[in-house]
Amino acid sequence: MAFSRHIFILALVAGCLLPSGVQALWPIPTTLETGMTALKISPSFSFDVQIEDAPSDLLDAVAESQYYLENDKLGRLVVGRGANDTTALASAMTLSNLTLSLTSGATVDSISSEAIKPLGTRSEEYALTIPADGSAATLTANSTLGLYRGLTTFNQLFYYYGGVIYTLIAPIAITDTPAYPFRGLTLDTSRNYYPVSDLLRTLDAMSWVKINTFHWHITDSQSFPLEVVQYPEITINGAYSPQEVYTASDVQYIVQYAAARGIDVLMEIDTPGHTAIIGATYPDYVACFDAAPWADFANEPPAGQLRFALPEVMNFTASLLSDVAKTLPSSYFSTGGDELNTNCYTDDYPTQQQLNSTGTTLNDALDTFTQSTHGALIAQGKTPVVWEEMVLDWNITLSNETIVMIWISSADAAAVVEKGFRIIQAPSNYFYLDCGAGEWLGDDPTGNSWCDPFKTWSESYTFDPLANLTEAQYGLVLGGEQCLWSEQSGPQNVDPIVWPRAASSAEIFWSAKQPTGAALNVTEALPRLHDVRYRMVQRGINAIPLQPQWCALRPDACDLYA
Amino acid sequence: MAPSRYVGILALVAGCLLPPGVLALWPIPTTLETGTTALTVSSFFYFDVQVEGAPEDLYEAVAQAQYYLANDKFGRLVVGRGANDTTALVSAPTLSTLTLSLTSSATAEPIASEAVKPLGTRSEEYALTIPADGSAATLTANSTLGLYRGLTTFNQLFYYYAGVTYTLIAPIAITDTPAYPFRGFALDTARNYYPVSDILRTLDAMSWINTFHWHITDSQSFPLEVAQYPGLAINGAYSPQEVYTASDVQYIVQYAGARGIDVLMEIDTPGHTSIIAATYPDYIACFDETPWATYANEPPAGQLRFALPEVVNFTASLLADVAKNLPSSYFSTGGDELNTECYTNDYPTQLQLNSTGTTLNDALNTFTEVTHAALIAEGKTPIVWEEMVLDWNITLSNETIVMVWISSADAAAVVEKGFRIVQAPSNYFYLDCGAGGWVGADPSGDSWCDPFKTWSEAYTFDPLANLTEAQYELVLGGEQLLWSEQSGPQNLDPIVWPRAASSAEIFWSGQQPTGAPLNVTEALPRLQDLRYRMVQRGLKPIHLQPYWCALRPDACDLTA
Repeated sequence: MAFSRHIFILALVAGCLLPSGVQALWPIPTTLETGMTALKISPSFSFDVQIEDAPSDLLDAVAESQYYLENDKLGRLVVGRGANDTTALASAMTLSNLTLSLTSGATVDSISSEAIKPLGTRSEEYALTIPADGSAATLTANSTLGLYRGLTTFNQLFYYYGGVIYTLIAPIAITDTPAYPFRGLTLDTSRNYYPVSDLLRTLDAMSWVKINTFHWHITDSQSFPLEVVQYPEITINGAYSPQEVYTASDVQYIVQYAAARGIDVLMEIDTPGHTAIIGATYPDYVACFDAAPWADFANEPPAGQLRFALPEVMNFTASLLSDVAKTLPSSYFSTGGDELNTNCYTDDYPTQQQLNSTGTTLNDALDTFTQSTHGALIAQGKTPVVWEEMVLDWNITLSNETIVMIWISSADAAAVVEKGFRIIQAPSNYFYLDCGAGEWLGDDPTGNSWCDPFKTWSESYTFDPLANLTEAQYGLVLGGEQCLWSEQSGPQNVDPIVWPRAASSAEIFWSAKQPTGAALNVTEALPRLHDVRYRMVQRGINAIPLQPQWCALRPDACDLYA
Repeated sequence: MAPSRYVGILALVAGCLLPPGVLALWPIPTTLETGTTALTVSSFFYFDVQVEGAPEDLYEAVAQAQYYLANDKFGRLVVGRGANDTTALVSAPTLSTLTLSLTSSATAEPIASEAVKPLGTRSEEYALTIPADGSAATLTANSTLGLYRGLTTFNQLFYYYAGVTYTLIAPIAITDTPAYPFRGFALDTARNYYPVSDILRTLDAMSWINTFHWHITDSQSFPLEVAQYPGLAINGAYSPQEVYTASDVQYIVQYAGARGIDVLMEIDTPGHTSIIAATYPDYIACFDETPWATYANEPPAGQLRFALPEVVNFTASLLADVAKNLPSSYFSTGGDELNTECYTNDYPTQLQLNSTGTTLNDALNTFTEVTHAALIAEGKTPIVWEEMVLDWNITLSNETIVMVWISSADAAAVVEKGFRIVQAPSNYFYLDCGAGGWVGADPSGDSWCDPFKTWSEAYTFDPLANLTEAQYELVLGGEQLLWSEQSGPQNLDPIVWPRAASSAEIFWSGQQPTGAPLNVTEALPRLQDLRYRMVQRGLKPIHLQPYWCALRPDACDLTA
């Protein structure tokens, strides 16, 4: 018996000796130095913004940071949740101030305008220093966006016990720069609708892990919830209900809310597939509309795709995309292009008549369609983004600037990069958050998820963004994103199905490696991800538990070979 | 273009021609006759309780039914959500009253007392009639519990559009009796804790599910306050806030009882008890031993030293102390996943076995006899997991109920030994499967019971598979289960609902009113109906499909 008890005590001691501060940060910074001194937040703590003409969204961000500092009330993830820290805190120094400043020469722009600059021209880096003696902490950056990133890091450093907000690892020195410029989360709001409040909450959570792109797959074959002023009927006939619409002002509010949190909104109107519901308004524009058996004409019901060979459909689409895109501040817009079903057009009289009368092939027509729609976007100053099939399955001319998203398999990245395009890594076999929930089609009780199994945070975390690429090609990888397709999701489960899993890619593409230079490692990462998850819960996000709480309080005790 | 449009219009028409009332009910009643007349609910509608000495919880149930009737505001799941029904509603008769009464010889006891009677002695059947002409609807039953079941059915019949609450399928005549007496839902509140409010919400959603199987403790935490052993929760709960106090338990049990639900509590022994060592280190073998995988199916290792007399006495006393505060006739002592390696080098256990010349199996036999006897002395029937019958040679009372969990294939072997069973097979009914591996340092690890069990996979479970007709009556029913390694209050609603309704229908209905077997294609529109009604009542069930599909029955079937 005595023997057993010793083991228990040793396990406790080992838990205490782990560098507890390192558990706090996600994504892990580029460089990180920590000490072993306790430091308390003063009840009169203030953020000192030493920036002339500081933009209002920076002041809002500081107010938010102050709110989190006071209200997170996250107990340290150890047995006792910090009860054993009280002795160290009794004599601890007090931190009263965080000074925010921009490096000299930096221009003072709003976070919102910094967040939507073209990829590669944003400045997200920052330096954060917290002395151990209670003298002012400092946060410096080249832009307000960098300061915003630093504030999210600052908020992750502090725990709460018995009325005291504190860290145990002062002094702290951090410098931090993202490894990749694009770090996204995709949400499909068409298969099922999400109220605006759910999107705002999701944007908040994204910002906490420094995700900088909300890839909004806003329409699809099942519903068209986007209000387009020039084409009001598409929404009137295509939204699930008048209440399930993103009005033009909703979109503006969401875009502005995102930008103030350092997030660019990349909207996608998927074409020419994934458009059946447009047939409810423009039946002449959609081929194989609601045709059965749907499986002959689409990857999922309902069937229906734009008759992209028709000039009027091409003009309509170019006009629709450009009308939407011009209201958005982002430099990017996605035209989709995945899962185009050719069988849909085989017996489609208008398409075949057009092809025959002009002596063109379906591929030629798609080339013309894409050049026209992309031309319209480029005229609005947007860089087009497409899914991988547009490059791998079709022979069409795309601008070299076009960004290509990999989704079918991580194995496809090399082939796209080989063609010289910049890519976003969104491979279903690592990053699809909806996988593993079983078949959703009716009358198929033994059917499984097409992309089984469920992608755990740790499976996602082992993704290598540069696999199979040559060093010369590395620069073409802009980053990556995890994706939630909503056949089986909605506001009821958005938090638990997304969080904390979507933080995996956030760290892969922000940190890329540990501060030591070592590769990212699931065993090192898990305690930090628990920390993120429990902090999210404190902030009102319904993130799933990754393990029993027993494990969360005992780092590594639940590892496979522990 | 023209042919395409016709396809769309045909699909719409087909949708309208489906018998819309049948979409409403879950579980589907034993017999069901419906008409095609529209009937609106009067704004002065009231429930007329013609039950002498009606108990308070029946009045509360009626008030709840009234609340749902007025507040569900649930639009019919068709394109337009009922907009096309307005013409039919203009001239529709109005229903003003539902009369509740008991059959002549019945006595009016509280629902809560009826709900905790022994299995097989509860009366859950009822008859519900709703005439098409607006004359009073009637609900009759042999017990208040039957009336309660009938009220839940009544509430499922009505839709809402633009201020009008209505049905389109009057007249309606329903008689309904459960096929199996045990219909459960199991929740593990030890791996992760659920606040009381989450449990109450879950009990509301269970309604026709009549057993809350509460796996309240495990190796990771002991959140149950036991007055006689306060240290167990003080040292074993995750925090002082993450405890079910004695009064919490009483409140939950009473709340469940008033909803026709019996609370079957499980204190899993002698495995799944590691955290007891935080209070009684001498009682636990291989406590927190590493590598944990040698000593337990999941961390932390640690099991009761059941061979020691003091542990036998402690456990019997603990179980009896908890059980005697509960009104249920049943109590589960668990008994799954006992790891023998834990005892191989455990000095106290080996010393005891050697000094008494007994085997581990003998010791387990003694332990089980004593703990079960303590429960039987409190009037409880013990319930165990299947290993107690299949893996060990121990003497159990014939009354013992055995839960089948490892595989549906194991049911026959347990029944062969003459025990009554509850069907809880992981390969159909585990709600936690398919979420990937959760132990650390194993990024390619999958869920041990992959894949995810969809509602429809669960729905195809056959409770009587591999049994002889003579053995059928040994099947008391079944339950779906949520083990909480990867779940907590954050995902409780979406991981449980509406999936846990699958077994509810299997074990209530057993078959379709026509006598045909249950069928996933027939069931899906009704389950969608249930799911969307749950959302109206504040629950967060997952979407089974895109909403587009929910509005168009069968349009998203595999071969549609």
